[in-house]
Amino acid sequence: MAALGAFDVSVRDDRLGGARSVSMTRLGRLRWWRLAILAPAGLFFFVPLIAAVRFCVDTPGGGHSLAAFTSLVGQQGFAPSVWLSLRLAGVALAISLALMVPTAIYVHLRLPRLRRAMDGVTVLPIVIAPIILITGVLSVAPSWLKATPYLLALEYAVLAMPFMYRSLDAGLRAMDLATLVDAARSLGSRWSTTMLRVLVPNLRAAIISGSVLTVALVFGEYTMATLDQYQNFSVWIYVFSQSSAQVSVAASLFGLVLPWALLFAISFLATAKPGRLRRHRVDVTGGERS
Amino acid sequence: MSILSRSELAPRTPRAPEAARGSAVELVGVSRHYDKLRALDDLHLRLEPGELVALLGPSGCGKTTALRILAGFEHADRGLVLVNGREVASVPPQRRDMGMVFQSYSLFPTMSALDNVGFGLRLRGVARNERQRRARELLELVGLAEWVGHFPHQLSGGQAQRVALARALAIEPRVLLLDEPLSALDAKVRVQLREHIRALQQRLGITTLFVTHDQEEALSIADRVGVMRSGRLEQIGTPAEVYTQPATAFVASFVGSVNRLAGTSVNARSVEVLGVRLPIPPGQGDLVASRPVEVLLRPEALRVSADREGRALVTGRAFHGATMRITVRIDAATEVVAALSALEGSLLEAGTAVRLEPVGTPLFVVPGADPEGNP
Repeated sequence: MAALGAFDVSVRDDRLGGARSVSMTRLGRLRWWRLAILAPAGLFFFVPLIAAVRFCVDTPGGGHSLAAFTSLVGQQGFAPSVWLSLRLAGVALAISLALMVPTAIYVHLRLPRLRRAMDGVTVLPIVIAPIILITGVLSVAPSWLKATPYLLALEYAVLAMPFMYRSLDAGLRAMDLATLVDAARSLGSRWSTTMLRVLVPNLRAAIISGSVLTVALVFGEYTMATLDQYQNFSVWIYVFSQSSAQVSVAASLFGLVLPWALLFAISFLATAKPGRLRRHRVDVTGGERS
Repeated sequence: MSILSRSELAPRTPRAPEAARGSAVELVGVSRHYDKLRALDDLHLRLEPGELVALLGPSGCGKTTALRILAGFEHADRGLVLVNGREVASVPPQRRDMGMVFQSYSLFPTMSALDNVGFGLRLRGVARNERQRRARELLELVGLAEWVGHFPHQLSGGQAQRVALARALAIEPRVLLLDEPLSALDAKVRVQLREHIRALQQRLGITTLFVTHDQEEALSIADRVGVMRSGRLEQIGTPAEVYTQPATAFVASFVGSVNRLAGTSVNARSVEVLGVRLPIPPGQGDLVASRPVEVLLRPEALRVSADREGRALVTGRAFHGATMRITVRIDAATEVVAALSALEGSLLEAGTAVRLEPVGTPLFVVPGADPEGNP
C-alpha cells in the first residue's frame, strides 16, 4: 500500500508541477518509514539464510565448495524421503481440497451464520497438540491405513485445515458468490458444473495459496512423522544431521527453495488478470484483438 | 449489425411453437414467509406471451421474491407457478429455461465476453464454432461486437449488463427475468440501456418480467406495470392506467408525485377542495356526503395564477427543463407542488401571492372518518 501511495503522489507531482517539492518530502518520509520497517524484517529473514549458505559452502581451508549441495542427491535416504514427502503432500492436498472447497462454498452460500463457528473449528488443529491429533486419527483410521505412511496424509490434511479454509474463506468473501451461482444455474448449469467451471476458476488464487501453504507444511512437518515412525524429508534432515551437518543444512535450504518456487508461481498466477493470461487464446478463437 | 430473428436464434432442439413466440407465465395465490416476515401474500400475476410486465414497489415489497420464485431460486410456501399452463414448482432453476439478468454484475470474471455469452450454449452441447458464432451475433445485437475478447474487469457497468443480457438471451429462454438490471448504472446509461432492452424484447417477442423500484423506468419500459406493497399486488395495468387511475391511495402516491389536500364530500360523487367542486374518479365507490376527505391531486392538476388578494404564497420553484415546479404554501401546515410550463413558472417568484385552483378529476379521494363517529 505504501508503494501505491507513493506512486499516486508522484503522478500528481507531474501534473501539478509546483507542488512537487512538498510531495517529494512526503515521498521521502514514506521511503524512510518503509526502510525502517523492512530493514529489520529483512535482517530477520535473510541473516539465517546467508549464514546457512555460508555454512554449506565454506571449506575448512578457507575456500568455497558446492559439494554439500551436489552430494545431496546421492545421500542415502534423501530421494526416498523427498519422494515420501511429495506423495504425502499430494495426497494431503487432494484430501484437503476435496473436503474444504465444497465445505467452504456451502457454508458461505447456504449457512452464512455458521461462518463464525467455522472460524473457530478450523483453528483447532493449531491449538490441539499433535500427539492428541495422532491419537484421534489412530482411533478412527482403518487398520489397512495404519499400516501405510498415508496415515500421515490424513493427519496432515487435518493440520492444513486452518490454512486451506482461511485461504478459501478470503477468496469467497471477495466474490459475489450467490449471484454467480444463481447466474450459472439460470443458464442451465448443474451444481457440479457450477463448481468446476464457475467457482473453482474464480477461487484460483485462494486454492493455489492454500495449496502452497499445505505443501510447505507437509515438507516441514517433523513431529507427527517422528511419532508415527516414518522418515519424511524433515525427519531425514534431522537424522542425517547426526552424520553430516553441512549436507543436512544444504538439504534444509533445498526444502526452503521448493515452497519458495511455488510461492513465486502463486504470486504470478494470482496477480495476472484473466485477460492477460488468456488473450492469446481469445485472439486465436475470436479473431478479435482486445 | 445483423438483426437476429427468432428462427436464427433457435436452439438445435426444436421447441414447441408456443415457446417460440413467448410463454404465458402465471403466479397463482403465491405466498412466501421468512420466519415472521411476510414476503409474498397471496400474489396473483399473469404475463401474457411476449408481454413485458414491470413489478414496481418499495424495497421489501416482495417483487424480487416473486421473480426468484419464478426463476426457481426460491420456493413458494403456497400457490402455483405456471408456465404455459404447466406447474413448474418441482423443476430446478437450471431446467426452467429462464434467462436472468441481475442487479449486480453477474458475469463470470474468468471468462471473456464471448465465453460468458456462450456459457449457456456450451452447457447445451452446442459445438464450439456454432457457439462462438451465435455468441458473436448476440454481442453484435447488444452493440458490443468490438468487445468479444474483453473480460468483465475490462468492461464498464453498462457494457457488463449488456453482455449479461446477451448471455441471458443466448439460451433462447422461455421467459426473461430482469432483477433491477439498471440500478447500478448512471442515469444516462440507464436510459440508453432500458430503451435497448425494450427494443430487443419487442423484436424477439420474449415474455419478460422486469423488477424495479424506479417508477420512471417501469412506466417507460413496460406493457403493464404491477405495483406491489407488503407482498401483495395493489394494482396492475398499463402505465397510463396506473398513473392516471390508481386503484389505491398507495399507488397514487407511489407512482408519480402527488399533493394531499383536505376537502369535504359534497355528495356521493363529488368533493370540494380549495373552494372548488370536483367529481370523484369514476372507479371509486360512492362517498357519504358532508364528511372530511383527503383529495390526492397531481402537480399538473393545480393551476396557479398571481393574485394580490390570494391567500397562498409561492415559497420556491425548481426548474425541470420544459416545466417548472412551484411550491405553494396554503397555510401553516399545508404546502403543495404545482407543475407549470417553464414560461408560466418564471413569472412566479418566491413571495408572490397566488390563487390556487384544482382542475379536472382528482387522482384519488380517501374518505375520512365521520367527526361524530357515524359509519
